[in-house]
Amino acid sequence: MIRNVAVDVILAAAVALVLASTVGLLAMRDTYQRVHYLTPLALVAPLLLGVAILVQSGSAVSSSLTWLALLFVVVTGPFLSHATIRAIRIREAGEWRLRRDSEAPGDAGSPGDQP
Amino acid sequence: MNAFVVAAIAMLVAIVPCGILLLRGTIMDAVVAYEAITAIAVMVLILLAEGFRRSGEFELPVLLAVLMFGSGLVFVRLLERWL
Repeated sequence: MIRNVAVDVILAAAVALVLASTVGLLAMRDTYQRVHYLTPLALVAPLLLGVAILVQSGSAVSSSLTWLALLFVVVTGPFLSHATIRAIRIREAGEWRLRRDSEAPGDAGSPGDQP
Repeated sequence: MNAFVVAAIAMLVAIVPCGILLLRGTIMDAVVAYEAITAIAVMVLILLAEGFRRSGEFELPVLLAVLMFGSGLVFVRLLERWL
């Protein structure tokens, strides 16, 4: 009984988090702000889901496969977000590094600045 | 219908705002929406496999999670320079 209630509460929290994140994705003004809403969706909600399945099934095979899938989502999510923001920046500014105002557009800077 | 299936259906509703963003936003907005949809799809597949007690179907979200990372990087890399 208590286990079922705990699973229901955790699942409800995960679903509410996902719904709120997707509404946030839609409501934000630009892509930089939207990427921030990927984090709760791809990092916190999978962890809640894994905990719910762990509470429901214990250390069964389904739990281990679930944690394997969710581990991929949780570990790769931040890398994907970083790559997305980098791509947006390169599309907008031509390169991802911040250009100082004192540098002329043709100034190559020091050799260590080169990618 | 248990709590896991209900949660899967509720999570599928979350794809609707992502679909609107995918259709109406810029191309980079669409990439962000695609990443959100794939993360939701992984969770929905896990919830359905647990809800219907089919342990063999837990392999599908594992595969999708791996492919999500690779495909996301390919999209982002292409959009960064060439599209």
